[in-house]
Amino acid sequence: MTKEVFCLKDLKHLIYFENLLQDAQNELVDKAKAEGRYALGYNCYYVPEVLLNLPGCFSSRLRAPRCTSTDIAGYYMTNRTCPYARSILERAIEGGFNYLDALFGAESCATMDRMEQHFFLINPIQNPRFFVTQIDPPMKGDTTNLDYYKVQLRVKLLEPLRDRLGVDISDEAIRKAVEQHNRLCRVITAIGDFRKLPNPPITGYEFHVIMLVSQVCPHDLILPYLEETLEELKTREPEPKFPFRARVVLAGSEIDDPDFTRLIESCGAMVVADRYCFGSFPGREEIEIYGSESAFDAVCRHYLHWNQCARFMDGRKIDQRTSEVQRLVRDFAADGIIYENMKFCEFWSYEKVLKSSIFINDLHIPTCTIEKEYALGAVGQLRTRFQAFIESLEIKQLQGGK
Amino acid sequence: MKFIDKMIAPVDKALERFDPLWQAQNGKGGLRSRYYDKTGVAKWREWRGVKDTMVDYTAWLNNLLSMGLMVASAPLPVLKGMWEYRWMGSFLGTFLFIDRLFEGYRGPQLKIAHMNMHAIVKSLTERIAFVLANDARLGGGPETENIVPHDETITPLFLKGFKGLHPFPLQTLPEFIICDVDQHIEPYYIDVAESFGLPADVCSRCAAETGVAIDDAFPLVGKVMLSTNMPCNASEATSMFQRRRIGKPDFPVTLAMQHNNPEALPYSRQTILDAIHFVEEHYGVKWDWDEFFKYAKLINEQNTIELEKWDFFKTPYSALTGIAETLYRLYSWQSVNGQDPYFNKVDRKVIKLMRKAYEQRYDPFRGTCRHRAFLWGPSAVYYTDFPTWCANCWGINIVLNMDSTMGFNMIDTEDPEKALDDLTRFTEKACMRHHAVGGWENVNAVWQWAKEFNCDMVLMNDNIACKGMLGVHALMEEQARDLGFHFIFVEHDLEDSRTVSRQDMRNCVNKYMDVVLGEKPLDPTLVEFDDSDAY
Amino acid sequence: MKKKAWKLLVKLLGKTLLAALIFFAATFTLYITNGENKLIYYVVRPFLNRHYDSQTRDRRIV
Repeated sequence: MTKEVFCLKDLKHLIYFENLLQDAQNELVDKAKAEGRYALGYNCYYVPEVLLNLPGCFSSRLRAPRCTSTDIAGYYMTNRTCPYARSILERAIEGGFNYLDALFGAESCATMDRMEQHFFLINPIQNPRFFVTQIDPPMKGDTTNLDYYKVQLRVKLLEPLRDRLGVDISDEAIRKAVEQHNRLCRVITAIGDFRKLPNPPITGYEFHVIMLVSQVCPHDLILPYLEETLEELKTREPEPKFPFRARVVLAGSEIDDPDFTRLIESCGAMVVADRYCFGSFPGREEIEIYGSESAFDAVCRHYLHWNQCARFMDGRKIDQRTSEVQRLVRDFAADGIIYENMKFCEFWSYEKVLKSSIFINDLHIPTCTIEKEYALGAVGQLRTRFQAFIESLEIKQLQGGK
Repeated sequence: MKFIDKMIAPVDKALERFDPLWQAQNGKGGLRSRYYDKTGVAKWREWRGVKDTMVDYTAWLNNLLSMGLMVASAPLPVLKGMWEYRWMGSFLGTFLFIDRLFEGYRGPQLKIAHMNMHAIVKSLTERIAFVLANDARLGGGPETENIVPHDETITPLFLKGFKGLHPFPLQTLPEFIICDVDQHIEPYYIDVAESFGLPADVCSRCAAETGVAIDDAFPLVGKVMLSTNMPCNASEATSMFQRRRIGKPDFPVTLAMQHNNPEALPYSRQTILDAIHFVEEHYGVKWDWDEFFKYAKLINEQNTIELEKWDFFKTPYSALTGIAETLYRLYSWQSVNGQDPYFNKVDRKVIKLMRKAYEQRYDPFRGTCRHRAFLWGPSAVYYTDFPTWCANCWGINIVLNMDSTMGFNMIDTEDPEKALDDLTRFTEKACMRHHAVGGWENVNAVWQWAKEFNCDMVLMNDNIACKGMLGVHALMEEQARDLGFHFIFVEHDLEDSRTVSRQDMRNCVNKYMDVVLGEKPLDPTLVEFDDSDAY
Repeated sequence: MKKKAWKLLVKLLGKTLLAALIFFAATFTLYITNGENKLIYYVVRPFLNRHYDSQTRDRRIV
C-alpha cells in the first residue's frame, strides 16, 4: 500500500463498525435481545437471511472473531476439518453464542453439517429455548430442486419459527421482511458500487467491514449507520491518485475476517469485488416479487438463483459461477482474480482448481489461488504469494495486457 | 466322502508342516513366512490340506478361464486397452489379490468365498471385454452409443427399464474396483490431480477420479453421463472435472441427503424420473416398466437371500465372513444391482452351504475368533484383505461391514407407483452413503447394528480425509465408551497407501489388542511385516 | 471289430486321461509355485509400467 492511502479521511463509523465485529454478541445484538427479539443464527447463504428477519426476530450470521485456538472443537471434530466450522463450535462451547434462540443450519457441506449437529448433541448453548434445524439444501437450479428447497425452508425454518417461537410467517410478514431486506441491500449495493470507480472513495477493507456488520447486526439497528455512511461516501474525497497497483476480485469460501482483505490491500491490490461467503456477491441483491408469486416463493427462487456455492452440480450453475466472477471482473474493472479456499474445504478446493484453469487458459484473466486458515496467523507465505501475483499483474499492465 | 477323507488324512498329516496355520500354532512360522520381503509375492501358494488346496486350485483355474474368455471374446480391444490404460495393467494383479483375501480360509468358508469371488471375476471380465470392445478411444463397437455411463455410486437398477441400453458405472474399472487390487495404481492418478493444484487433503478416492479424468483415462462410451451427489462432498466436486473432460451432456442425479425425512421421498423420486426423461430424450428409448420389473425381481431375490444371510451372521456359525462377504455384497449390490442372474445363482448356492454349515455348527476361522466386530466407515481400499488379517492375526471376526447394509428394501414388481417409491428408497441407500450422511442418527446407528449382530467390537475406519466422519470423532468414542464396545479407530487414507501404510493400519489394531486388551497374536508373523511393494 | 473299437476307446480314454494328467500337472505346478504371479510381478508389470511411464498423455482440465 502506498503512503497516500492513509490520506483518505476515516469513515465516521468505521471504528464503531470494527468494534461491532469483535464479538458475535455485540452491543446491537444485546439491544435487540433487550427488546425481546429472537436471535436466529445461521452459517450459510442457503438459509435465506431475509426469513430470519421476520417480525420479532433478527438474523445473526455466525462468526468466531479472534478465535486462535480450537482445542475443544478439535477434540470433537479432529484438526483435519474446516477451521471455520471448528472455530464456530469452539466459540459455542466457550459460551459466545448463548444469546441465540435458534440455529438454522444447512447440510451444505459435511463439516458444517457435523458442526451444527454438535449444537444439539453436546448442547453448548446455554439457552433453554434454543433449538437447531438443518435443511437439506438443493444441488441444482432446476424446478425439482426449487420445489425441494421450498419444502425444506417451510418445514425446517418457517414452521419451527411459527410453532416454537410464535413468529408470524404470513405472506404479509414475509413481504415486510423482504422490503426491509431490500432497503439494506440497496444501501450496501450503493456503497459497493463506489468500488467500480477508477479511484474509489472506499477501500476493499472498509467495504468488507461494512458488509460484515450488515450480516451480524440486527438490520434495523445497523441500517441508520449504513445510510449515514453512504451519504458520507458520496462526498468523501478519494486519494488524489488511485493508491493501489492493481484491482482484484476475491472469490472463494468463508472470509469473515476483514484483516484478510487488508492483507491483500497492504500488498498493493484493492479488493474491488467480494464473491465469497460473507461477501456481497451474492448476498445483497434485491429480492423481486413477481406478479401473483408469494413472497416466500420469491425468496426461494431468488436465493436458489443467486446462490454461488461450489456444491451446485448442474452445468448451468457451474457455468453461472464462472460467468458471475467474469461479470465482476468486467464491471469492477479488475485486473485479476484471487481464488481462496478455506483449508480442508473440498468444494472450494476443487472449484479453485477448475476455475483458475478456466480463467487463466480459456478467458485469459490472471488468477491466483491460495488456501488459508480461518484465523490469520502466519501471513508471510500469503503475503509473498499476493505480492508476486500483484507484481505479475503490474508487469502485464506495463506490457499492455499481453 | 468319508472314504476320501480317510484316504487323504495321511497325506494331510504328512504335509501339515507346510500349512501356515499349523506352523503358527506350533511356533514354526505362519502365514507370512512364505513371502518374499515387501513384495506380497509368495514363494509358493498356501498349503491348506489336500481338499482345501484343491478347492483353491479349482477356483484359480475357474478364474483363469474367465480371464481367458475375456481375451478370447475381444482379443484386440483387450490388448489395445492394456496398452492404452495404466489401470488395465493393474488387473493382472487379480490372482495375487484373491490369494491374499482368503489366506487362512478353510472348509465351507473357503468354498463360499471362492464362489462369491468368482462371480465378481466373471462379471468383471465380461464387463471389461464389453467396454473395451465398445470404447470409442480404441475404435468403438456396435454398442458404443447404447451404453449409459453413470457414476459408480448410482445404483444402475433404474436404468434397466431401458431395453437395449447398457448401464456402465464409469469409474468402476479405472478406480472403484482396481484400487482394491493394486495399492499403487491410484497414487499415480492422485499425483496427476495434485499436479494441477488439487490439495492433498481432499478425499483420495475423488482425487483419484479427478486424476483419471485429467489423464484422459476413462473409456469413452455412451451419449451422456449421469453423475450424482452420492456419497459425499468430494465426489460431488470431482464430477465437475469429469463432466468437462468427458464432454457429454450430463445429468446430476442429486438425491436427498437427509433421506430419512418424509419430504425427501417426493424429491428423490422426481429426480429419478427426471433422470429417466433425460436418458429417454438422448437415447430415443422409452422406459419400460415390464423390463424394469424383470430386474427388480432379481434384486429382490438377492436381497431376500441377503436378509437370510444376516440371520446367520448373527450367530457364531456363519461360513460367510469378513472380506468374502463385504466385497461380494459391495459389488453385487452397488455395481451389478440386479442386472446379472448369475449372481442370483451364486446366492442360491451360497445360502444352501450356509444353512448346512449352520446345521453342522461350523465355526469359521477354525474356532480361533475371540471377538466379533462390526466394520464401519469406508474401508481403506488399498488394504482390502484387512479383515482377513484381523481374523488371522488377532482373532477378530468381522461379521458385517457398513456397506453391506445398503438398500435392502424390496421393490414392488406390479404397481409402478409403489415400485417408484421403493426404487427411490433403495437408490438413496447407496454405498458409503446411507449410514454416513443425512443426519447424526444414520451414523449413530452403528451401535444398534453392532448389537443386533452380537458384536463386542466396532472397528471404525477413520479415513483421514473424510470430512463427514472426522466431524463425529469424539462423539463416536464417547458413545463406544458409554455403551461398552471395544472401539478401534483404524486410520487410513482410502486410496493412498503412501499417507498411511498398511502397516500403520495394522498398528492401530496391534496397539489396542496388545496394550488395551493384553491379548497375544494368533500368528506372530502377521504382527509386523513390510508389504509396501505389494500390489 | 468290437475288439478294435474297444481298443480305440481305451486308447482314447488313456490319451484323455494322460492329457488331463499333464494338464493337471502343468497347471497345478504353476499354481502351487505361484508361477503366474511371479511372472506378472517380476516381468510383465515392470515391462508394462515402463511403457505407461513413457506414454505422452493428454493431461489437461478441458
